[in-house]
Amino acid sequence: MSTATMSRNSLWEVSSRVIVYSAIGAALYGILLVAQVPIPGTTVSVRPAFALVPFFGYAFGPIVGFFTGLVGNGIGDQLSGWGALTSWNWSIANGLVGLIAGLAPMYLSRWTNGSLRDRAIGGAIAGVIAVIIGFLFTFTDLIIQAGQVTVGGVTSFYITVVVADIIATAILVPILVYAWEPVKDRLGR
Amino acid sequence: MNIAPRYLGRGSWLARRDPRVLILIVALFIFTVLQVWDIRFLLVLVVVSVIYYRSAGIPWRYIRRNWTVVFVFIGTLVVVNAIFAGGATAEIPLEDAHVIFTMPILGTPMSAESISLAVTLFLRYLAMATIGFPVAFAVAPADFGVAFRRLGVPEKFAFGIDLTFRFLPSLAADFQTTVDAQRIRGFDWSAGASGFLTRLRRSTPVIVPTVVNAIAGAEDTIDAMDLRAFGTGPRTWLRELRFDRTDRLTLLAFAVLLAVFTVLGFAGITSELYVFPFLLDLANR
Repeated sequence: MSTATMSRNSLWEVSSRVIVYSAIGAALYGILLVAQVPIPGTTVSVRPAFALVPFFGYAFGPIVGFFTGLVGNGIGDQLSGWGALTSWNWSIANGLVGLIAGLAPMYLSRWTNGSLRDRAIGGAIAGVIAVIIGFLFTFTDLIIQAGQVTVGGVTSFYITVVVADIIATAILVPILVYAWEPVKDRLGR
Repeated sequence: MNIAPRYLGRGSWLARRDPRVLILIVALFIFTVLQVWDIRFLLVLVVVSVIYYRSAGIPWRYIRRNWTVVFVFIGTLVVVNAIFAGGATAEIPLEDAHVIFTMPILGTPMSAESISLAVTLFLRYLAMATIGFPVAFAVAPADFGVAFRRLGVPEKFAFGIDLTFRFLPSLAADFQTTVDAQRIRGFDWSAGASGFLTRLRRSTPVIVPTVVNAIAGAEDTIDAMDLRAFGTGPRTWLRELRFDRTDRLTLLAFAVLLAVFTVLGFAGITSELYVFPFLLDLANR
């Protein structure tokens, strides 16, 4: 059920498989958020777990991706004590990243239907595009809470997060695709 | 590794409420706070949020670290914003602002208006975080699925939320097993890793097996759900949720608070930034 074999109609199907993959994606994202790699000289940390959001979207479709990002971020906030709903804008932004990555067959069909290498590269490209577009939603946080979009806000909110998440996505999504696709074939999915 | 939601408020007044109350109050309160720019009224909301938070009975010693993170996060955000704003606010350009001093090294002017805005923003974030904490610590993890379902979230997605919480302990255990297995093979996440890219790459021996195993092992759950005809009709939930009188009164109180502050906001009473007079005096000296 990877993007490579997914028809456009089946992208929006909500089956038991979609629900279970969504729940696993969200739980893993929430759990693995404990691991963070600080970028030296900055206050920014790269979260390797973030790569799960575009990966689950890319591999299992937009609904799984959206759920993984939305609920996974909420779970991560819940586990850290911040409260699942306090940063709802960021959860939606994470969800959008998964959703956009899941729509890759619509805008990256050349890559998603190609060889394993193409699909792995396609995953990285879809993930990067999804991060750049999806996190634009965090501007609602600036507008609603700070009342304006300032250079400081853009720098501290958007750019730092996007750069850190692009790094995690570009490195880890292809690795996850390379690891998952042979297993998927063996399992006959 | 203990990765699980901590139900620290168990048995408290707030934990005895219907979980929908806690979720709805976050929404009501956030919309209330967002309309307030006058710090004097904001302080009232901070007091309300602290009283509400105290009713969750969350022991301080367990969440000291969480609060430290909140203060550091909000503080950083507000300070960075103030530096980049350069003494101006959305309504008041730098030419009309009352500059008090210029930051050394950076040369950024700090005005009475930008400092007042920074303090106001800090309190807005703090009030919202305070009201959000009880959701993390005073709602039983098993109640989230049914609570969202009763709030109108589609059945399958509400079940997905429930399933996510149920997966947490087993997947956390799998993660720990993978870490231990890799350690036996000599894996150490940070040892010898010079750059952050190397450290990032070194996370793959833990993350990839955990993820692939979890997905491959999902087949049993999928089969079990299919065998029970998941999604073919409306499902029932073991936990029944009912608002009692206290739940209704609590919700009503927060709804009234929202209504009052909405009216005050439209009347222009709370919607203007309050600039501390002593800062204006300082700027005029």
